[in-house]
Amino acid sequence: MSLSFDPVAFNLAEGLKHWGTVMLVVAIVAFFTALVTSLLASGLAGPWQLFVHLGGGFQDLAGTSLRRCLALSQLTFREALRRKTLWVFAVFAVLFLFAGWFLSDVTADADLQVKNYVSFVLRTISWLILPVALLLSCWGLPEDIKARSLHTVVTKPVRRHEIVIGRVLGFAAIGGLVLGIMSAVGYVWINRQLPESMRSQLTARVPVYGDIRFVDNEGQDKDAQGNILIEGINTGDENMFRSFVEGNTKSRAIWEFSNVDPARLEGGGRLVLESSFQAFRTYKGNIEKQLLCQFTLVNSTKKLKVPLKAFEVREFRRNVYDVAAENPSLQDTDGKTVELAELLAGGKLQVETACLSSAQFLGMARPDLFVRLPDRPFAVGYFKSIANIGLMMLMVVVLGVMSGCFLKGPVATMLTLFIVIVGRMAHGFLDTLVTGKVQYHNPHVQFQGAGPIDALYRILTHMTPGVALEDKPLFRVINWLDNQALTVLWAIRSMFPDFTAYDTTEYTANAFDVPWAEAMLPNLAMAAGYCLPWIIVGYFSLRLRELESK
Amino acid sequence: MNNLTSLQRKLLYLGGIVLLLIPITWLGLPAEPAHGAGNQGSPGGYLAQKRAEYGLGESDLGNVDPASSTMNLLLLGFRGIATNLLWMDAVEQQRNKDWASLRATTESIILLQPHFLKVWQFQGWNLAYNVSAEWDGVADRYYWVKEGIKFFKKGQGRNKMYGELLWYTGDTTGKKIGRSDEQKQFRRYFRSDPDVARFNGGPDPDVNPNSRDNYLEAGEWFQRANDTIETYGIEQHIMAPYLFRAYPARSQFDYAAALQREGNFGEVTQNAWSEGFQQWTTKYGKMPFECELLGRRIHLEVSGDEMRDMVAREVAQNLPDGKRESFWVNRYQDTTNYRYWRTRSLVETEKLMAEAHRELYEGQQALFRADDATARQRYTDGMLKFEKILNEYPDLKVEDEMIEEAILAQIGWRQCLELVDEEVPEQYPLKEFWDAHPMRHGTVKQEFDRQRRGAR
Repeated sequence: MSLSFDPVAFNLAEGLKHWGTVMLVVAIVAFFTALVTSLLASGLAGPWQLFVHLGGGFQDLAGTSLRRCLALSQLTFREALRRKTLWVFAVFAVLFLFAGWFLSDVTADADLQVKNYVSFVLRTISWLILPVALLLSCWGLPEDIKARSLHTVVTKPVRRHEIVIGRVLGFAAIGGLVLGIMSAVGYVWINRQLPESMRSQLTARVPVYGDIRFVDNEGQDKDAQGNILIEGINTGDENMFRSFVEGNTKSRAIWEFSNVDPARLEGGGRLVLESSFQAFRTYKGNIEKQLLCQFTLVNSTKKLKVPLKAFEVREFRRNVYDVAAENPSLQDTDGKTVELAELLAGGKLQVETACLSSAQFLGMARPDLFVRLPDRPFAVGYFKSIANIGLMMLMVVVLGVMSGCFLKGPVATMLTLFIVIVGRMAHGFLDTLVTGKVQYHNPHVQFQGAGPIDALYRILTHMTPGVALEDKPLFRVINWLDNQALTVLWAIRSMFPDFTAYDTTEYTANAFDVPWAEAMLPNLAMAAGYCLPWIIVGYFSLRLRELESK
Repeated sequence: MNNLTSLQRKLLYLGGIVLLLIPITWLGLPAEPAHGAGNQGSPGGYLAQKRAEYGLGESDLGNVDPASSTMNLLLLGFRGIATNLLWMDAVEQQRNKDWASLRATTESIILLQPHFLKVWQFQGWNLAYNVSAEWDGVADRYYWVKEGIKFFKKGQGRNKMYGELLWYTGDTTGKKIGRSDEQKQFRRYFRSDPDVARFNGGPDPDVNPNSRDNYLEAGEWFQRANDTIETYGIEQHIMAPYLFRAYPARSQFDYAAALQREGNFGEVTQNAWSEGFQQWTTKYGKMPFECELLGRRIHLEVSGDEMRDMVAREVAQNLPDGKRESFWVNRYQDTTNYRYWRTRSLVETEKLMAEAHRELYEGQQALFRADDATARQRYTDGMLKFEKILNEYPDLKVEDEMIEEAILAQIGWRQCLELVDEEVPEQYPLKEFWDAHPMRHGTVKQEFDRQRRGAR
């Protein structure tokens, strides 16, 4: 019941800066490309026409009428209903009616069962809503143009961008309606389908994550180059997400929490630490006893160090450690009694984690230990996940409408589908290509030779990707060329939004709330960041499109 | 184009439909099962009859799972692609230790491949052995062993004509629970599940419905595997038939041996061996096995006198080896270790053997709790009795289990002597085993140390 990835808080200011830069570059490139094209196509009159269109475009945008947009969205909504959109409910109903066949008795373990049910509902909703949104949005405008029914709209006093926005709002409204009903049914279904005894597992844990660093088994917290140790020991697990601390040595994992507000803690001040570490045994030992783990609370400002009572680690389970319940009185290493409030002074807290079982290892990654705040109702996490599906649907709608502005229905569908598939299934691969970092596994492991020429050289010389190229002129040239290639690849990757980010099932299914800073905010920002330029592209495409041409 | 009116055309189409329906009905009418004495049912159309004749219907293979059939129909020709994707998912989920998803994915895979025995075998084994070993808690490991057993059982329901999955169910119930490092806990959990909230201190009825020893439960699964092969005439593809059919009796031997390992040497254990002897000699031993090169069926239970007569007869007929029944009986007996188990199970029913085992076991327990005087006494008595019985049945002296037990006893006995700084005497019981097998001392010592750790 732990996360298999590291949730990192989104820096909005950085994101905006990055987005602004990219948009500026794209706008400049687009402007000059259009300028040259118009010059070649129409001579000196070309640039003039370009400025006229741009000026007209900005004038249109400035005169946007919300009333007209809403009227158009109403029209779109009705049209979607006429196209039998709501038939998707029939598929939904059939799936849920027979879901019991596929899911019942898959496993009787409460943690695992809850995960299966929640995942099933969220995935089903996600996979049903996307095709509906995609088909509606891709075929709407092209069909209207083909049937010439758009003529009845464009001859009215509406601006073309209002048509685009109206379409988006209309399709989003019908999608939202379908999503709302599905999510409500799904929520009731989960609650009814799960046995009474398992319903307590339906919750939304609220974690406060810290930053992790390691101390090796000789007590060193830096490597030979003087860098802080960000990894523990590798015990040979294929999945390198977690690294290990060795038992009964000076090896430690240290979490630093910088935002622990005592007022927000459980029961108004009870510190609850929750962990899910992995066990690695070098010998069997007493198999009826689990490996021992000990937390030590540290306030470095006040030079306080309080070792807590050790506990047995239940692997792949939630290990909830209520500090006050396990330790009726807190004493520092000198035996002096310490109040929890003293330790938490300034909202900063260090938790040193040690394995006490000799020659055994405990594996951990950053999200494996957190300060647990009071839980929120399951509905909060669930509907946040639904909201994320809604955001993804909105992006697909905008993308589909934009494609429909300059392509015919089937081609627009293929383009949108391609972008969605790459965004959902191949974004990790693109990330790996661009950054050289291996997804799913250790985020710190980076392969050398991510560039094409470097890779070619390595293939021909049988050089492994773990070895860096020597500092020679030839290799410097190769590096430079590869960097240019990777920059182009980076630009291509940026054209595809990472739709996997909208799948927040792992949070909800693992009984976590969907965090604001790590998931909701970046997803909102990404939706806005992509939708805005897509709408502008859609608008100019429709503005320049000859509607008489089917 | 033609002079027919719209109505006439429609009537013509209707007539065509009716005409086509006649052969379709004749071909495709489904069979109707008999309901009670009054209704004899119907054999159905031509296709239904042929399907029944050649056993081609899905229901002939086992229970029909509506979810599985629905999935396969809905996927049209894409079943292979979907299955591949699911297998890739399963591998990735296992790598990421996402057990809930892995379990759900295995269920999806078997929906698509319900009659592919290797899928059931692979994933059942994977759950019972690989996934189970990933968990640190013994109770958690037991949970996954049970998941594997349940998976095999479910597979058997879908494939009732085949003995393989019954055998795997028995094998996992017997070997995984009774022979793994966690055997002590697993055997206990098998009768009293650690999930007290669900099973109230009793066994999980899905894996142990009769609340009995795991080896007895396994024996029943092995027997059902044999019966299934007999009933449907479809031979399994795991091992030679004469080895496969031995498993019910072998499981009975395992049960008796497990009782001894756990320190039970009374009547129950002797009865268990006696039951094993009966099963081995009167049931398995009398089972006929096809011997292709001989051209007829043979059975393994042949007494010494019968064998001598058989050899004399064949020598008189001047038959070559490949045509002698005695040759093939001997060969099959060697492969199955038939004579050893026959002698062993017979010996184990004897009181002297039971006492020898008990003395050696008690000696070891006394040594582990540092009661070296009692240990030495028990060891000495046990070794004497063990030697005596082995001298009565010298065939057993070359068998691994006997040799190892003799060396194991001497390791404990020698430690008793070391504790009082006493030299090993020139002559002592079971000495011949110690001298004859010096290469085995190391491995048996490891076993001794393992038992010592387990006793703590």
